[in-house]
Amino acid sequence: MAEIWTVFRKEWRGEMRSRHGIFTAGLFSLLAVVAIAFASYGQKPSGTILAGMLCITLLFASVMALPRTFLVEDEQGTFDLLRLISEPQPVFVGKTLYNLTQMLVTGFVLAILLIGFAGLQVTVVWLYILALVAECMALAGAVSLCGALAIGAANRWILAAVLSVPLLLPQVAMGVGAFRAALGEGTIAGGTQNVLGLLGFGVAALALGPVLAASVWKTE
Amino acid sequence: MHYVLMVGMAAATLLAFLVPDADQFQKPELARIFFFHFPSALICSVFIFLSGWFGFWLLRTRDMKWDVRNAASVEMGALYGVFTMATGILFSEVQWGTWWQWDPRQTSFLLVLAIFGAGIAIRGAFSDERRRATISAAYSVASLLPSLFLIFVFPRLPHIEQMSFHPSQTVTGGLLDGWYRVGVLSVGFMLAWLTVIVYRMRVRVGELEFQREQFDGSLEAVGGGAAPHRVVRAVSVSEERRDTPQEV
Repeated sequence: MAEIWTVFRKEWRGEMRSRHGIFTAGLFSLLAVVAIAFASYGQKPSGTILAGMLCITLLFASVMALPRTFLVEDEQGTFDLLRLISEPQPVFVGKTLYNLTQMLVTGFVLAILLIGFAGLQVTVVWLYILALVAECMALAGAVSLCGALAIGAANRWILAAVLSVPLLLPQVAMGVGAFRAALGEGTIAGGTQNVLGLLGFGVAALALGPVLAASVWKTE
Repeated sequence: MHYVLMVGMAAATLLAFLVPDADQFQKPELARIFFFHFPSALICSVFIFLSGWFGFWLLRTRDMKWDVRNAASVEMGALYGVFTMATGILFSEVQWGTWWQWDPRQTSFLLVLAIFGAGIAIRGAFSDERRRATISAAYSVASLLPSLFLIFVFPRLPHIEQMSFHPSQTVTGGLLDGWYRVGVLSVGFMLAWLTVIVYRMRVRVGELEFQREQFDGSLEAVGGGAAPHRVVRAVSVSEERRDTPQEV
């Protein structure tokens, strides 16, 4: 547990020095909301459309920002050092927890901006928050795993995105189902079912990720 | 044995054209695409399982024979995925009037195909064969859950099922026309047989490739110089060979 916390703090301090990840994800969210507001100017998009836009923005924000925590170690040549001083599992979990934190910040900023700028009207607030947390958890888990797999590859940034997107689209589909229920379209029971599915995906990624990362990193 | 397969395949194809038309379709005579479409989708799904299974065993044992099987499964799965998509698109055009209509089942299968595509892309991104094998295996295991969700769960979600043109109860509920059932089973059986043969050939080719690479590596190590062809590969020399030089 101490090792996980150390890796998390390392990522946090690194981020506080450069602010690259949060800045990129925040700016991307703002631009996405402005683009959505432009695209729907003078119109009132339905809850399903807005839910889809929110999920797609979250998807691309995660794919752009999250693999960085793993790939930057490879580029800086610090990955071997990290593996020397720590077991693979705590490294993976610490970085994934940091990614989850970053994703939650991005998600809540995006959700608030969408309410303010794009006229998003939330009818079931608890479901909206729950869906946001579950979606961020599922995205952070899967993208972290793909980032961990892409270490050492040629064109690793592109590869991380290529690997992530097909794995994330089921989660986007469930996210749309959950958000549209929170925005007043569809049933609350259906929305809750989707949230449970997202949580299941998130837990599976968090459970499977450290095992796979350990087995892959051990071979080098 | 291969002659039996050829005759059987020809007979199954002939049967597919001879069974009576199913009148429920808009163009009954063209609905026979289903005989090839449905088994292809099933075989593709089997390769998703196999790929994950072989990936699991590679990560567990580090034996490269599982990598050969994993690579073969990904390639064969992608091939059957493309075949399923092609026959599905054709069916969509002739029966529903449009090539592509974002039917949930069409879309989810496209995503499965994208997962297979990513599995192939990952193999090209690593030059070291051991690393390539473990990363591919890990991705096969990781993609198992989303693939299963896309094939078996997503199209059956209540609000998705309502939108789909694909019938979900016809096969599982035993509502398939008697002759159609015979046609699907015949073509499916022969296609599965053909798949087993092609898969085994692909595995054999993969094993031979691997053996050849190992042989080249040993030539370099023993001779202490270059192999007949230009081979750029890290060479590891075992303790025994280091101590006792051998002649080629």
